[in-house]
Amino acid sequence: MPATSEAAPRHLLQPEVLAGLANLDLIARAVVEGFLTGMHRSPFFGFSQEFAEYRAYTEGDDPRFLDWNVYARTERTYIKRYVGETNTRLVILLDASASMGFGSRAVNKLQYAKYLAATLAYLAARQHDAVGLIVFDEQIREHRHPSSRPGQLHGVLHAIDRTTPGTGTDLKKPIERFREFEKGRGLVAVISDFYCDPEAFLKGVAPLAYQGQDVALFQLLDPQELKPELKESALLEDMESGEKMEVSPIFMRSRYREKIEAHIANLKKAAIGMGAEHMLVDITQPLDAALRSYLSFRQRRGGVLGR
Amino acid sequence: MTLLAPLFFAGLLAIGLPLWLHRLSAENPNKQRFSSLMLLEAGEPRRVLAKTLQYLLLLALRIAVITLLVLAFVQPTLWRPPQAAASGSARMHIIVLDTSASMAAGDRWDRALDAADDIVDSLASEDRAELIAAGRVVEVVTAPTLDRAALRQSFATVEPGVFPLDFGQLMRALDGIVRGADLPVVLHLVTDAQATGLPTRFGELAPRGAVELAIHDVAGGEGNVAIETLAGSALDGSLTATVQSFDASARVKTARLEQNGALVEERTVELAPGARAQVSFGVLTLAAGPNRVRVSLAPGDDLPFDDTRILALRRPEPRPVLLVAGDLRLQDAFFVDAAMVSLAALALEPQTIAADALAETALEDYEFVVVADAGALDDAARAAVTDYVASGGALLLGLGPRSLSLAEVPVTGETLGGSGLGGDGDAYTSIGTLDASHPALRGLDALRAAKFFRYMPVTPDPADAVVMSLETGAPLLLERAFGDGRVLLFTSSLDREWNDLAVQPVYVPFIAALSNHLLGGAGFSSEAELGSTLALRALGLQGGQIFDPAGEPALGLGGTDDVLLDELGFYELVGGGRNEIVAVNFDVRESNLEPVDAATLERWQALGQPSAAAPTAASAAGTDETVPTPLGYWILFLVLAGLGVESWVGNWHLRIRRGMAA
Repeated sequence: MPATSEAAPRHLLQPEVLAGLANLDLIARAVVEGFLTGMHRSPFFGFSQEFAEYRAYTEGDDPRFLDWNVYARTERTYIKRYVGETNTRLVILLDASASMGFGSRAVNKLQYAKYLAATLAYLAARQHDAVGLIVFDEQIREHRHPSSRPGQLHGVLHAIDRTTPGTGTDLKKPIERFREFEKGRGLVAVISDFYCDPEAFLKGVAPLAYQGQDVALFQLLDPQELKPELKESALLEDMESGEKMEVSPIFMRSRYREKIEAHIANLKKAAIGMGAEHMLVDITQPLDAALRSYLSFRQRRGGVLGR
Repeated sequence: MTLLAPLFFAGLLAIGLPLWLHRLSAENPNKQRFSSLMLLEAGEPRRVLAKTLQYLLLLALRIAVITLLVLAFVQPTLWRPPQAAASGSARMHIIVLDTSASMAAGDRWDRALDAADDIVDSLASEDRAELIAAGRVVEVVTAPTLDRAALRQSFATVEPGVFPLDFGQLMRALDGIVRGADLPVVLHLVTDAQATGLPTRFGELAPRGAVELAIHDVAGGEGNVAIETLAGSALDGSLTATVQSFDASARVKTARLEQNGALVEERTVELAPGARAQVSFGVLTLAAGPNRVRVSLAPGDDLPFDDTRILALRRPEPRPVLLVAGDLRLQDAFFVDAAMVSLAALALEPQTIAADALAETALEDYEFVVVADAGALDDAARAAVTDYVASGGALLLGLGPRSLSLAEVPVTGETLGGSGLGGDGDAYTSIGTLDASHPALRGLDALRAAKFFRYMPVTPDPADAVVMSLETGAPLLLERAFGDGRVLLFTSSLDREWNDLAVQPVYVPFIAALSNHLLGGAGFSSEAELGSTLALRALGLQGGQIFDPAGEPALGLGGTDDVLLDELGFYELVGGGRNEIVAVNFDVRESNLEPVDAATLERWQALGQPSAAAPTAASAAGTDETVPTPLGYWILFLVLAGLGVESWVGNWHLRIRRGMAA
């Protein structure tokens, strides 16, 4: 029964359902398996080595990758390229600041972020990619170097699982830590609500891009942050600073929405400007959209990276 | 506890204000946690009513301050049983303030008030006190009370009057008040102890009962010069004033004579210490009607009331009176004629004619007619007299021996029933009832001394007013309004024939009073004593009005009440086509400011007996009244303390809030 076989995994990707599962490992497995089961017709099928194209040899290319058969036939030097013929590294930068504890539904942003991080880690491990993790707020709270050794996934999932909301947000520190310890190229997935100045953020993340890292930004927002509904004026308290502010429902319905949309647009623009991928994630939506974005991003980057 | 102004309790509604303010909050109770304020903009802070009260300690303090403030306005008084009274030491202090005219001299009154204040200061808390003003009458100003403030306030309501004070009468008047007291009495007499106020008998100064007497002498060394008398004759216009000095030093005064408000003459008077001088002024030219004559001394002195004396003089106009005798050889009109001639002030011009000449006489030329014996009138004379009276004339009709044959009184027509008494010749009767309020009989009680041997019993007509009757009950003097005139009927003879009235001293005043009445009150007395009354009936003024010296209407003369002459000056009486004035002068007894000598004062004070220490049963009952303790000052103190604490607590809260904001 195709209908039910597709509906069941889809159902499993709902955040509320995932919240009922106690084990993060189980959550990641359920999400990934369900996701992969549902995308058997997708262009992302198969990660084995597969010929992609020939490219003319240029100075500096490794002569080992020359296709001598073609050279024999044409007396021209070509380099043979494959899709996903090499494993890559994924480092997840998980924002565990206090603002991530916000949520208007059963699952808050941090919980959703943990599901997403676990799922990405599981997916990467399944592809034999090395997986690393940096959990941060104002400080670096957890740092696991990327590795594809057996047991790494379990350690990463365990670190994700014990993450709780901390204090403020400082994106600069995890990025500096990353640059300090992670010299190789790979994927960097930043999961955060990105309540920061886009310009400052750009300055922080740009060095990663210059280092050759492929950066994917997962911006997690609650519907109440995207389209807040206030029946009467309220005194809102900042979850990180404790600062209070009286806001009117009129502002939240009009001006605030404009500002949050502009903020997201600016962030996206900044990400594009430095070659990064920005994905806005509504935490009430299933995880497959985020995973799909991630795989699409990996495919694009992987295609470029493959040799 | 007594609340003197309970309406102020409405002020407690102000408690609602802090209750409301303490619910007001600048902090929105709709508090929510939000991920970041980075993209938010502060809206207009909204003051909202919180569901719960804030700053409860501050609120309690503010409510307490408001409540205490309201209580301060309400003026609660705590009444507690007087402990000292229960122990029997409470006393009743009767403070008598002398308000006689002499107390206005110099600063005697200020000293009297100071003395009264000192008395109140010296009272024990359980002592009660009352204030009495002693002037023309003894007036209880404040009932016995423990409230010192009320007592002091009542001092301001009393001031010296213009009347003299007799200490003997005062002590008698205080007797009833002293006897009514239910506590041992201390009688405080605040007075200048004027020597002229002492009674004839010293014993009259003794208070009745066990009363402790304390005399507070406030007399000073004030000097005084007074116009003692002012006598003038309307006949010759002479005027003489007697000026008396009560000063220890020689004085020179100027006596100013004013007539009807215009200065006429000034005389300088030199007075040796304690001397008396007479000032005779030039002949006054009196204007028609009443003249207001005023003599005053300049410069004035400590007692201004007696620096002026007034006199009302009316220029006399000859008044022809017709006396009708039975026979000119008889003397039945002789005594009346003699009496009238002696009444110079009335300026009567009696003319005696025989009865038979009456018909040919023009009666309208005479002010009134006196017929000595009605029996002498023949028919023509009766008709003439009747016409005269009916047209507004006045007639005095006597009944003498010639009237014995009459069956009825001529003119008025009352029935005559033969003669009364006269049987054995020695029998007589006297006046039984006498209407002293009648203007013709006012002050003539001496008439009762007259013996009436014969009279004509008259059966009064309902229109007759019997104003005097004999002991036998027979009318002696009747009055009848007849036509436009009036008739006085004397039922005995006007000479010595049937009575001895004509040889009594009262005869001339009696004839004067009858003449006055028949003249319509023209001989009205123009001088009255201060404090006396004007008997409205005696004035013979109908439908008129009386004005006091200030020109204000005093009392309508249509009523029956007498007018009290309690102001110095000219009282004006207008009514019945007449205009009269009455001069009311100061009582010269008050002019002598000399106080009682110290020895006499000491003897007087010794007349008081210290009251027994132990209270009687009645005095014990008197201690039921509790002692008031005003709580106002305590409450105000608490308000101030509350405000201080409230400020401190409020500042403390403010500091905390500022700290939070920082």
